[in-house]
Order: sequence, then C-alpha cells, then structure tokens
Amino acid sequence: MKSGRPKARGLRQTMSDLHIWSGLLLGWLLYAMFLTGSLSYFRQEITQWMLPEAPPPRSVPDAAQAAQRVVDALGRVAAPGSPQWSIALPDARTPIVSAAWRLPQPEDDLLSAMPTLGPSFVPSNAVPVLAPPTLAPVLAPKPVPGQALNESPEGMPEDTLEDMQEDPLDAAPGLAPDPLREPIVEEARFDAVTGERLAGPAGRETQGGDFFYRFHFQFHYLPLQWGRWLAGLAGMFMLVAIVSGVITHKKFFADFFTFRWGQGLRAWLDAHNALSVLALPFHLMIAYTGLVVMMLTYLPWSPDLAFSNGGRGQLAKQMSAFLSVPPRSHVAAPLAPVAPMVRAAQQRWGAHNVARVIVALPGDAGARVVVARGDEQRVSYSPQYMVFDGRTGRLLAVREAVGPAAETRGVLYALHMGRFADGALRWLYFLLGLAGTAMVGTGLVLWTVKRRARLPEPARPYFGFWLVDRLNIAAIAGLPIGIAAMLGANRLLPLGLAQRAAWEIHILFIAWGAALAWAMGRPAKQAWIELLALAAALLALLPIVNALTTDRPLWASLRAGDWVFAGVELALLAFAALHAGLALRVARHRSKEPKAPPRSASPRPSPPALRDPEPQPTLREAAS
Amino acid sequence: MTHLTLAALCLAAFAALALAMQRHQHTLFDAGLPRTRTRALRIAGWGLLAAALAFAVRTQGWSLGLVAYAGHISLAAALVLGGLIVAGRRRVR
Repeated sequence: MKSGRPKARGLRQTMSDLHIWSGLLLGWLLYAMFLTGSLSYFRQEITQWMLPEAPPPRSVPDAAQAAQRVVDALGRVAAPGSPQWSIALPDARTPIVSAAWRLPQPEDDLLSAMPTLGPSFVPSNAVPVLAPPTLAPVLAPKPVPGQALNESPEGMPEDTLEDMQEDPLDAAPGLAPDPLREPIVEEARFDAVTGERLAGPAGRETQGGDFFYRFHFQFHYLPLQWGRWLAGLAGMFMLVAIVSGVITHKKFFADFFTFRWGQGLRAWLDAHNALSVLALPFHLMIAYTGLVVMMLTYLPWSPDLAFSNGGRGQLAKQMSAFLSVPPRSHVAAPLAPVAPMVRAAQQRWGAHNVARVIVALPGDAGARVVVARGDEQRVSYSPQYMVFDGRTGRLLAVREAVGPAAETRGVLYALHMGRFADGALRWLYFLLGLAGTAMVGTGLVLWTVKRRARLPEPARPYFGFWLVDRLNIAAIAGLPIGIAAMLGANRLLPLGLAQRAAWEIHILFIAWGAALAWAMGRPAKQAWIELLALAAALLALLPIVNALTTDRPLWASLRAGDWVFAGVELALLAFAALHAGLALRVARHRSKEPKAPPRSASPRPSPPALRDPEPQPTLREAAS
Repeated sequence: MTHLTLAALCLAAFAALALAMQRHQHTLFDAGLPRTRTRALRIAGWGLLAAALAFAVRTQGWSLGLVAYAGHISLAAALVLGGLIVAGRRRVR
C-alpha cells in the first residue's frame, strides 16, 4: 500500500469506515443471530436432547404407518369439526410425530377452508398447501375481514407447530398478537411407533431447539413483526459489512493463510480476516439468502406491482401452491386410509423423503389429503406434493414444479436453511456458522483493541468505548451463559411447572441480563475472565446435570451409540473447553500500559482503523 | 466417502497453494523454494481445486455438489491455516 493513488485509498478508507460502523452498530445482534442460527442447524438434535424421556430411535420409523396411526389418534384427540390437521412425519432426525390441528372457527362454514390471504385475494375455497417454507399458512388464522392484508405466507419461515399460533397474520403490523385471543391451533406430540399421544414426562414441556431457530430471525419478547424487521436490518448491515469488508481488505490473497500469532492488534486483525475470508462463500450466501427468506416481510408491496390482479394472493399462489378444496359438504364420511397415500408418495420420492401429511376437512365427504415431499437431497424449498381425495383415497393431482422465479426463491431459501444436508454437510454448515459467529466476535473485539491503546486514560474511557466494551462482554461471554442456563433449566425445572417451556426461555434471558449487569459493574478484564470462566463451568456442568437427572448419562450414550445425546454433550464439552481456553488467555494477557502517548510516533492525525500494515509498537504492546 | 475424498482434494489443493506462497515457504523451510517448484505447486493447487469441483458436481450433481464444494473449500482452507499456525509456532520454539 505504498502506492501513491489517493483515489483508491480514499475509497478504501470510506469502505473501512462503513465496515467498522455497519459491523459495530448491529454487531451484538448479529453475534446472537449467528450463534443461535448455527445451533439451529442441529435444532432437531437439540430438541431430542431436551426431551430426554423420549426413547432414542432405534430405526427410522415407517412414515406410512406412523401417519396412519397418528391420523387415527387425531380422530380421537383433535377437536371435532377441526377444518385441518397437519402431521409432521418422523424421520431419522425426528423420531417423534408432531401434529397440529386447527380449532373450528365460526366462519369455517362460510369459507370452508382457510385462505391465508384475505377473501379478497384468494378464492374462498383455496387452501395454501404447506408452502414448504412453512406450515403456518396452512393453519393460519383468517384475517379479520376488511383488514388490510398485512403479511404474506412468506413471513413465516417456520414449520414448527408453536409458530402457527404466532403467525404474523394474527397481528396488525407492529402489534403483538393479542394474548387474550383464543388459540386457533392445538398441537401434540405422538410416538411414531405406537401412535400414542406423548404426555406427562415424555412430553416434557419445552420448545427445544426450536427456540434458537425462532430467536435467530425474530428474537424474543418483541412483537414478531418488529423482531423480523430488526433481524432484516441486521442482515442488511451484515451484507454491507461483508461487501465493504472485502473492499477494505488490502491483501485478500497475499494474506490468505496469514496469522501472525501474539501480536495483539495484528493477531486480532489476522483472525478476523481469516474467519471472514476463508468462509466468505458461506457468509455472503447466508446474509443474502437470509434476506431472501424474509423478502415479503421486508418488501410487502412489491407483489402488488408485479401482479396485475390479486398482488400478494397471486404471488402466494405461485410460491406456496394453493389447493382447491370444495366447500364443506356437511356430509360425514370416514377418511380413507392414509397409509397407502403415504406409500404412493414414498414410491415417488423415496422411503424417507415424505415430510408431512395434511388433512383438510377431515370427516367431511369433501376431505382432501395432501402428502408433501421432504427436503432430502433437494436444494429447493419449492412445494412438491400429492393430493388425494379424502373419502375415496384416489390420487387427484401431483405438483412437482413451480415457475422459474419461484424456483429461484425456493433454491435460495433452501440454501439458507440447509435442510437438504446430509450429516457431513450439516456439520459444515454448523462449523461455518460458528466461523461467522467468531468473525462477528473478533470484529467487535477489534473495535476496542484498536481504540484501547489510544485512550488518554485507559482506566476511565469515554462513554462510547465503555459501552462497546461492556456490550461486547455481555454479548460474547453472556449469551453462552444464557444458553447453558436454559439447557440446565430444561433438566432442573420441575416437570409440572406451569409455563415450563416459557420459563426455560425466561431463564436464558435472566442469566444473560445478569451477565450484562456483571459486565457493567466489574473492571473489563475481570468481567471477561469471570464470565468466560462461568460460561465454561456451566457448559461443562451440563453433561453432569444430565447424568444426575436422567437415565441417559454421557457414558451410557457413548456405549449405546446414541450419537444425538453423545454428540450434544460432547459439543457442550468442546464449547466449555473453548470458553475455558479464552478465559485463560485473557487471564494470562498482561496489558502493558502504553508508556508514551500512542500516536506520538505517527504524524497522521487520525489513524484509519483497519489500514495499518504494521501497527504502531505501542498499539501492539497494549493489545498483545 | 464422497465427503472424505472431497475434503482430501480440497485440503491438498490449499496446502499446495499455501506452499506456493513465499511467506509460508519461509515459515516452513526457512528459505524460499525455487521458482519452478513454486509455480508447479501453484498449478497443482488450482488444478486440485478444479478437480475437487468436478468431483463434487459429478458425484452429487450441480446443486448439492456446489453447496458441498463451497463448504469443503472453506473448511480445508481453515485447516491449512491452522496447520501453518501450528508449524510456525513449533519453529519459533
């Protein structure tokens, strides 16, 4: 960078500033989003770990039989007159069958099914069939007639059951769902082999890994709409930070494998660069596709322009595939056996590649059964499904393709979620997600390392520095404490506790908040050491707590080859070791007070942050 | 098995590319390698990266293959970096 091209330097300097501030402003949120998002790649496994009473699966349950048993069970369990059942079939990662059913609403007779979008947009007898991104639209409540359409099915990148109650369709934009509103969906878990409803201990009330998934894009305690907008803002900043960071980076290829150990600022910068550059394809992909996943939440009006009639309704039809259901006939008719329908789908897509069975108008002569394809080995989220007549069991239609634009979106969507991934690829997603987490973390720390040396009075920094420093501690060391506390609460809270699932999550935020308070009240270095050590201790304790409170201790899991339990606990121990190592490193770190004013040697008035090829010696000392 | 082969190809590719860089030659061998060897390493590195891509696409198709490839190159590059850090620290001692 000795070249005398002021113009290029100017651009790089601008980009550097942009990178620094776009990265910092939402960095703490991005850190949490990256960490919980990475965990979400193993959310089924985490859920299994959080439901220790459910027996470990010996083999993948047969989807057709499981579907039949649960459909039979729903006939007894679900509310009579329910207009729709939805059954998530078991697979190798989810040995339990989750089912949900919509409670009958007075208007059901009028509309007969549940158009996701208001009556003005979609023919009243159209049912959105499992836009694969989401089950939500299927079971989404009807908007209040006359109310402006405020959300698309797209806003719901979710296929878990609880979310159906939280669908943004419930709420006007920016408003929380009314807590007093009657729930419109009920759900239950079933044993895949016996078809018995899991209740009591085996149904330990927990959100499991789904919490991380949901927090990742909508946070918690926030109205969903706000949370998603905030996540989108963070995602946009992330994209800006990535692009500006690449432009800022002077020696993208020359420093490709460079890490200069132990030189303070230099080492932090090298680490930040390595984590960013080496995983750049992933970072770019995840930031961009993350925005695409939620595109209709962020740009809700564009479809109105793109489609001459019907706007969003048209779009939803394209993306989520609507199914026409004849109006309720009010003639009772038993449902045809579901197992043969699932078998037909298995023949078409593979034995383990049927994801879901949806029954519209069960018990009515006009019933329809939809069998939806799974994500296995398919890098697309576009809906594929078979439709059967619910009374006769006859195959009515097969849908396996969408238009090119919808397919593009389906592919980008699938890339973000990674549900098609096999074991190895899933681990790659997870590790690259952690690399992103570390990228954000090192970037945040870099901001303070860079500036600490320049503080006139390091013991009494200005407020902005103090705040960033403390928020860094709370975000980077505090969130793991909160997560460990939540996982511990899953084991230690009484099973009968009211609102148990909610309390697990409250405990995460209580612990996280306590960590923030601690970080604010202690000297920075002590706070780092203490909180990192606490995180390490809590994470390491979890396998012990599990051994004491369940009959599936780590050694038994290892011996039995139960890799879900063993894997989660070994990962917890690895994270514990990581945090212990970080705590030790901070503790050993001896900060040398800069003897001279740090900038005395430099004639430059305001040193650009990410530009120094060789940091000033004082900087180096202070940060090493 | 596919993933193992892919990982090995990517790892070899990045190892060759790293070895083709002067800075890392000095870390590892105290001296730079001859120019011809450096060039051979660079060609081998890029060639292996291309071979890995071809292998990924051939075995897993374009969609899955490209995704797996993108993941494996990141992991392999990180492993090479880790190896260089360890090697560098060893020599310092």
